Amino acid sequence: MIYAVRHRTTYSYEEPVSFARCVLRLTPRTSATQTVLANTVKVTPRPTDTRDRTGPFGEKTRTVVIDTPHTSLVIEATSQVDVHAPAPPDPKASLPWEAVRAESFQSRDLGPDGAAAYLYPTRRTPAASPITEYARQSLVAGRPIVEAAAELMTRIREDFTYDPEATSVSTPALDAFTARHGVCQDFAHVMISGLKGLGLPAAYVSGYLRTIPPPGKPRLEGADATHAWVSLWCGRNQGWIGFDPTNAIVVQNDHIVLAVGRDYSDVAPIDGIILAPGAQTLKVEVDVIPQETANAPAGHRPVTSSSA
Amino acid sequence: MAAETATRRRGEDLEPSAAKRLSAWLRGYRPIQGIPDELFDATGRPRGDWLSFLGDFAEYPEGEFKSRFEVATRHIRDTGVSYRVYGEETEQSWPLNPLPLILGQSEWLQIARGVEQRANLMEALLRDIYGDASLVEEGHLPAAALTGSIDFLPQLRGVQPPGGRYLQLYAADLGRGPDGRWWVLDDRTQAPSGAGYALENRLVLSRAYPNLYNGMNVERLAPFFDGFRKGLASAADRTDPRICLLTPGPFSDTYFEQAHLARYLGFLLVEGDDLVAHDGKVYVRTIAGLKRADVILRRVDADFTDPLELNSSSRLGTPGLLEAIRAGGVAMLNMPGSGVVESKALLGFLPKLCRRLLGEDLIMPNIATWWCGQPLERDVVERHLDNLAIAPAFNAPGEDGALSGPRLMADLSPQEKADLRRRLTDRPGDFVGQEVVRLSTMPVLRDGRLEPAPFVLRVYAAWTPDGMKIMPGGFCRTSERLDVRAISMGGDARTADVWVIDDKPVERVSLLASQEDVKVRRIMGHLPSRAADNLFWLGRYIERAEATLRLARSLCTSLMDSESAAHASGETLTSLQQLLIDWGALDEEHVGAGALESARDTLHDQAAYGSVIYLVRGARRTAASMRERLSADFWTLLVNLETELTEGAQSPLSEAEVLQQVESALQILAALAGLAQENMNRVAGWRFLDMGRRIERGINTCRITRTFAHDAATPDDLDLLLDLADSQITYRARYLVGLALTPVRDMVMLDPFNTRSLAFQVQTLKDHLAVLPSLLADGMLEEPSKILLPLATDVETADAQNLTPDKMQTFERTLLKLSGAIADRYFLQGAHAVPTVKLGGLA
Repeated sequence: MIYAVRHRTTYSYEEPVSFARCVLRLTPRTSATQTVLANTVKVTPRPTDTRDRTGPFGEKTRTVVIDTPHTSLVIEATSQVDVHAPAPPDPKASLPWEAVRAESFQSRDLGPDGAAAYLYPTRRTPAASPITEYARQSLVAGRPIVEAAAELMTRIREDFTYDPEATSVSTPALDAFTARHGVCQDFAHVMISGLKGLGLPAAYVSGYLRTIPPPGKPRLEGADATHAWVSLWCGRNQGWIGFDPTNAIVVQNDHIVLAVGRDYSDVAPIDGIILAPGAQTLKVEVDVIPQETANAPAGHRPVTSSSA
Repeated sequence: MAAETATRRRGEDLEPSAAKRLSAWLRGYRPIQGIPDELFDATGRPRGDWLSFLGDFAEYPEGEFKSRFEVATRHIRDTGVSYRVYGEETEQSWPLNPLPLILGQSEWLQIARGVEQRANLMEALLRDIYGDASLVEEGHLPAAALTGSIDFLPQLRGVQPPGGRYLQLYAADLGRGPDGRWWVLDDRTQAPSGAGYALENRLVLSRAYPNLYNGMNVERLAPFFDGFRKGLASAADRTDPRICLLTPGPFSDTYFEQAHLARYLGFLLVEGDDLVAHDGKVYVRTIAGLKRADVILRRVDADFTDPLELNSSSRLGTPGLLEAIRAGGVAMLNMPGSGVVESKALLGFLPKLCRRLLGEDLIMPNIATWWCGQPLERDVVERHLDNLAIAPAFNAPGEDGALSGPRLMADLSPQEKADLRRRLTDRPGDFVGQEVVRLSTMPVLRDGRLEPAPFVLRVYAAWTPDGMKIMPGGFCRTSERLDVRAISMGGDARTADVWVIDDKPVERVSLLASQEDVKVRRIMGHLPSRAADNLFWLGRYIERAEATLRLARSLCTSLMDSESAAHASGETLTSLQQLLIDWGALDEEHVGAGALESARDTLHDQAAYGSVIYLVRGARRTAASMRERLSADFWTLLVNLETELTEGAQSPLSEAEVLQQVESALQILAALAGLAQENMNRVAGWRFLDMGRRIERGINTCRITRTFAHDAATPDDLDLLLDLADSQITYRARYLVGLALTPVRDMVMLDPFNTRSLAFQVQTLKDHLAVLPSLLADGMLEEPSKILLPLATDVETADAQNLTPDKMQTFERTLLKLSGAIADRYFLQGAHAVPTVKLGGLA
């Protein structure tokens, strides 16, 4: 499936901002399951300094410095991405989850594709015992890891209320867990915390999700959103498999990966520091347009983060 | 045997009383069974160097060594690294032992070799981890034994450390194992602390016992620090680099140690705010604009150094710092990420890694440690759980129920044990099991007796242009409790100096640089904006304290002196009290209160923001955050002033006693002013201190003149004004006719020869501004000059006849505006320092 993605972010400032230094992670990752065919990132006003590099988790980053006074900052990324996931994993055929845990602690890969980088708790994904105990109910002894993780994902989808008003970008996983509500970011953090609590390597993925408009209605311009889900290392043979707890689906060809990291902080699409004398407002517009329409699951409208 | 020879020699040489004391010490000393001790060797005999030290030490008459030690300690502590006010600074208290730890040369060589090898091992390990990670790929080290550390920074993999190395300073915490060999308890690679304390401890002991110190061939510390400084300088890509010590700031545990080191080594002490990363380089904000920082000695944990790429909630760092490191524009040492090799998870791998990386066996062993991330090791730990200590494998962000330090299984409750077992199963990689180590002991003096105390010795290695150097000495901590398990080393620790005894007389190392190396220059140096800010406010605090003390003095004399200008009641007294209320030295209720009560409160009311004690504390706090820029004398005087005022508040005071306190405080302030005038180099720092003082004095002069030389001023008012302005004698000599409004106003406000007049302050300020650097390249006047120059003209051309209180108030306001303009132009907190905020929202 080939997608055209437009991701436009507008910051409006009450007072002119004289300086901004931003890290942009708006170029989708090329991997075994997706190929980036085209990508442009346009920043207005024009930066005085631009540096591109590959970040610690294989993400493409662009650092821009703007030192002309401005009252609005517009960052628009457009990409064309071919997503080509293999056939869905057989939940029964995977390793017992304890074997995956033992394997990941012996990993010989220190890099972004290895399991070791995603084994340990972070500030946003702590190993908190209430979340660990919640996960333990699905990860019973000897259960194949894909089956266990899929059940955990489904339970989060069922037990948690999707509520964009209830949490913010900085809500700790434990708070969202206790209140049983949040958005895709919170659900991903909760699921990662639960898996890490049991010693499993789980990563946070930021990206986009293809949305299907309700039958008979046209797709609304800019109405799509950025999304987040979980990637779990399921052993050397099966590798990384995506689980979307917001929609309770195992990731296939509807998800477009922007960046992978340990938690949101590693992959935030736009991160930065500005000299700001006044208040700021933020608007995000996303369009995910399939270029081929084959294989579209019908009548299914997945939920993504609505952050704008 | 060396020990016997020494005993014999001692027996022959010692005074009978000293011999008696020595033998009582030795006979009363009881090392713990089965624990190695420094004084007595394995055969139960005293070691030679200890014996000769104790013999010499015994020659001090009882009492004398005590007073020597106490005097030296007080002097150093009052002026030195570890001054602290309880409850205000969080600095840890490290009382010093009167006895040093004595290490003979052969012993020392063994330690030095082991520490040097380990430092090399850590450097090689870091090079591999952040390089091609061949150790991990080839299976010598599991990746998960690294990734658990908050100091593993994948952002810096593949980045060449600017300056060519990861570690500038390495430290190892050592203890003597049961077999008598030295063992490593912990490695310090992030930003080892304590070297400044070691310097301080040495200063105390060498001053307390100069004969002993000079007679014993104690190896000197100075050459080590000289090499350390040269090593840092060599990391820069230009000669004559600017070296900064990056501190987390005054709230850090070891802030004063950092300030002390910065002063001793001649580095700029900077906080994250003081630095700007720009175009792949790092700059310090100074009063002359941005100046390049070539090398940064890091005392901030790596995670906090760059809010853009690392911990985004950090307020201690500088956004863009990692980018500058990647660009090679700044050398930061130790390199961020170096802390990863402090992890206990690595300890068990080190013997193998040492053979692999250095091709040699590990000289100094570490405590037997098993990382539970490996199945076999975890089995060992689970089988022997009750006889082991369990410790966190990594320095990681705090989390739910995490171990804060090593715990003995034997000490845990059944519930805690069950929890730990479960977490060991869930997340084995978070833990290591360690052999329980007992610390060896060294002698300390307690109540005149010699007793064994468990200790840990921290030894430092630094990279210098002549290769690696080990500091001949170290930072030694002793425990007050006899419980010798390493992990019980708690809060009640003391420190000891460490004397390495050379067999040969030590060379008197001269730290003089060779003639060719030094280029003579007389530039002002670039004063960091933060320091300028602090100095300016220090000047203002001190001057306001002095003005307030003068008012208090008048209150006192009004009660004691029948000729006094302000009588014990009446209008002049009311004006005086009103002024103190306006200045915040007294609260409103003092209208109509007695003069004595007002004077007392003016001195001591801690809640009043204008009271003398409040102002002096403000001055001391401001001074504390730039200790490296003030002389020891200056600091001591300021601390004494605060102590006197604090102690003076204890008892109810008579007017005579209050007056005495006021006079004494004024004398200290006069001494401070004298020091600033005579003993401070006339560089930019001095100018900011003096500008603060001048602006404050100008404002105060306008204010008291308005108050006491208003149009309807009485002779009493004018008399008091001359007192406050210190101008009685001059006035009476100049005007025989007696008090009159116009001449008084002229003398106090406009006389350019009167050091307290407004005219004098304005002229001095003009001189200062003329010398300070200008930022504007177009030759236009800067804002402070635009305010000051018209004021100066106004004051110079003013006529006392027409100098109304309104006019004086205009001058006063202009000076306040000038103060604001100076802050904007030169300081971080000026109007241009707009707060930086995160770009928010779920973008």
